[in-house]
Amino acid sequence: MSPPTSQGSPFDLVAAGTGRARESAAAVEAPAAVPPGNPSVTALRERFPDGVLRNAVHAGDEDVVHIDSARVVEMLRWLHDAPGQQYDHLADVTAVDYGGGRPVEVVYQLWSIPHRRALRVKCELPLHGLEIESVTGIWAGANWLEREVFDLFGVDFAGHPDLRRILMPDNYAEGHPLRKDFPLRGRFSRAEQTRRALTQDPEDYYVPGEIGERVPQVIGADAEGDEGGDDVD
Amino acid sequence: MGVENPGMSGSGSPTFLTTRLDFVVNWARRNSLWPMPFGTACCAIEMMASAASNFDLARFGMERMSFSPRQADVLICAGRVPYKLAPVLRRIWDQMMQPKWCISMGACASSGGVFDVYSMVQGIDTIVPVDVYIPGCPPRPEGLIYGLMMVQEKIRGESLANHAELRAEDPLAAGRPRADDREVFDLTGPFGNSTHQNRVSGLVETDAVNRSEDRLP
Amino acid sequence: MSTRTVEYGVSRNPEMGPGGTLVASPTEPFDAPEPELGSQTMLVNVGPQHPATHGVLRLVVELDGETVVSVVPRLGYLHSSFEKLGEYRTWNQIVTLTDRMDYLAPLIYNCAYVMAVEKLMGIEVTDRCRVARVICMEMDRIFSHLLWLGTWAIDVGAFTPFLYAFQQREKVYKLHEALTGARITTSATRIGGMMADLPAGWTDGVREFADNLPATLDEIDGLLKHNAIHIGRTQGIGAISAEDAVNHGLTGANLRASGVPYDVRKDRPYYDYESYDFEVPIGCHGDCYDRYLVRMEEMRQSIRILHQALDGLPGGPMDVADPRISLPSKTDCMSDMESMIHHFKLITEGIPAPAEDCWFSVEGSKGELGMYVVGDGGPKPVRWRIRPPSFVNLSAIPKLAEGHLMADLIVINASLDIVLGEIDR
Repeated sequence: MSPPTSQGSPFDLVAAGTGRARESAAAVEAPAAVPPGNPSVTALRERFPDGVLRNAVHAGDEDVVHIDSARVVEMLRWLHDAPGQQYDHLADVTAVDYGGGRPVEVVYQLWSIPHRRALRVKCELPLHGLEIESVTGIWAGANWLEREVFDLFGVDFAGHPDLRRILMPDNYAEGHPLRKDFPLRGRFSRAEQTRRALTQDPEDYYVPGEIGERVPQVIGADAEGDEGGDDVD
Repeated sequence: MGVENPGMSGSGSPTFLTTRLDFVVNWARRNSLWPMPFGTACCAIEMMASAASNFDLARFGMERMSFSPRQADVLICAGRVPYKLAPVLRRIWDQMMQPKWCISMGACASSGGVFDVYSMVQGIDTIVPVDVYIPGCPPRPEGLIYGLMMVQEKIRGESLANHAELRAEDPLAAGRPRADDREVFDLTGPFGNSTHQNRVSGLVETDAVNRSEDRLP
Repeated sequence: MSTRTVEYGVSRNPEMGPGGTLVASPTEPFDAPEPELGSQTMLVNVGPQHPATHGVLRLVVELDGETVVSVVPRLGYLHSSFEKLGEYRTWNQIVTLTDRMDYLAPLIYNCAYVMAVEKLMGIEVTDRCRVARVICMEMDRIFSHLLWLGTWAIDVGAFTPFLYAFQQREKVYKLHEALTGARITTSATRIGGMMADLPAGWTDGVREFADNLPATLDEIDGLLKHNAIHIGRTQGIGAISAEDAVNHGLTGANLRASGVPYDVRKDRPYYDYESYDFEVPIGCHGDCYDRYLVRMEEMRQSIRILHQALDGLPGGPMDVADPRISLPSKTDCMSDMESMIHHFKLITEGIPAPAEDCWFSVEGSKGELGMYVVGDGGPKPVRWRIRPPSFVNLSAIPKLAEGHLMADLIVINASLDIVLGEIDR
């Protein structure tokens, strides 16, 4: 175990990303030195030879597959449905921003209850094109998890039935908090944040329109546009 | 002695009658405080523990947790308050009838605690006026009980003579921060590793009263 | 896997025998053709400050008369940005944040977090530490279920079980306090070990607690299990089928009540859970009453595990003997220069983790609690993600509550056993 080598404050290290995350991950992945412990990885490679970008084994026994973000629904549906796979439990959908302008990773944690196997599927999205298809059609439980990733990272899930902010207020104008370029205390001053908070109406969105619209609504195409942290006053 | 101007008899000094009246009114008020439990996080669990069998808040005239702000006397804000919740807290405070008191329970409600982050109110005193701050993360039930007793003690010192002054409310202030920009800045400055330890340093001018007689013996 | 199917002892519903299929609920909407009154649905706002929402949950409910047409939960009223804050803390400092997330079962969170980090760093903890953590986790599973039981009873209209449950909870509070000095916010674990060794006599206290608890559980069971009001308000309410439950990502007792025997302790055993003799309770209707039965049985099974773990608690050191991870003792720090420097360096620099990611899930009290940690070679995480079980469980509430009465919504919400600190993080 080597001590941290980079210079400067550890805060910079977090803010900028060290760059070693990529390198060392690539080093592990390059020759496929560790054979995957999960038969699904090989099966996925056979079924989608050009969809699987690379695979690796992390933290001893965890199989990670990087797949093409354009084919995520197709491949995950196969993992969910195929008789030998049956990844019926979507444990988690999240994202990782490594900072320094590197792509954002969307991470799916899958678990197969019948076969007792775990698989981690990752998709890389460039910062200028944070859009990926929604998997709510496969697992209904992905609904809120994807909304959370949208809220905190700004990743757009196309085809999501109800893509709104979930944790932050709907009119939040400071951006997407879990991005590495977002400061810990937010972009506005505390006084401004307090003022903005108190101008919210607690009964906001307690209007018939929300529920009335919700039922037939297909959001996705018009979901972007009002987001983004560049309207800092 | 008119009801609309109680306690004033010509010279403006309290009379024997009004001080006795004060005593009776304060006695009644402080022994039947109905708390409005605004519990959000860990502190709410300790508040529940205070109300449960082992600590039994009912001993202090508080067996009725008033979940409606309109029938409550003391707002116990227990737990973290994010900015998203701030207007709700303010609305509840505005809905409470006078006379009313406010307890800020725990580090997060009092100062933001460890959560010096984008989403958290750095002390509810920027939103509502606070009478008693209870330190701790979370405070023990004894701490909450002590805080409530301090509120009782504070009520003991109140007089109907300065009722209007104590209970003054600005109707225009609803929905506006209690503190102005400068005060919010002072109250919410980063602390912890920072040298700008605003509350402790005493460099901040606040309305906080620091009288030794406010403390219980 | 050894499972135990919980069965209805009594059923108030003539259309649903014990173990039989769920035919209809007594609160099914009235089926006759409704006269055209030109009425419209009504919106009711529940929360965020509402005694029955277990925190600052807000539900916007659309009602047709008293029948729920749809529910829109609105979250974020307790968003404390734990995950962002974690990126500015060293690996050991994050432990303090974890127990503020789920204040109902803090030790499970403490343990789950350090287990994920230890797996990322490749640290094997000592045998004593493994068993001690099992004791901590099972104790807090009971601790959390007791609070659920008390508030659940209040929500179905009974107050006495709350007082009984809190009496037992106070004993766990005292055990927490003896172990860590805090009643709720324990922060008991450290990477590679525990904050301190178990204090003298502590295991006896846990044993006494485990010995006395079944009597209280029986007492509460006696108040609720065959209680006509309780049964009428919970049987057939908020039922969900096994397929739907899996598809919605439900975990924990909510999933097992639907008959899916998925328990992380059995399916993905950690800390030698495979060597403990216990059963996984499963239900067969997936309704609120089954969730109640499953949780009650889970507490009894946890007591079994507690007894086995207490019997098998080995001696020896608590922390790993690796100077890069474990702090020197306080006495050494105060008397020995090298230990002082060692302590200082470890505290100020932190423990570096490899540039990898790691997912570790444990069976929390609310469901599958996953910790996803991503390191970059430095002493702070790039990303620390919690898979919040009650967040995912709550996302099924629009499905569970549809077609039931407004009063049932409160019961369904209580039956999910949510904690807002973890939902909003």
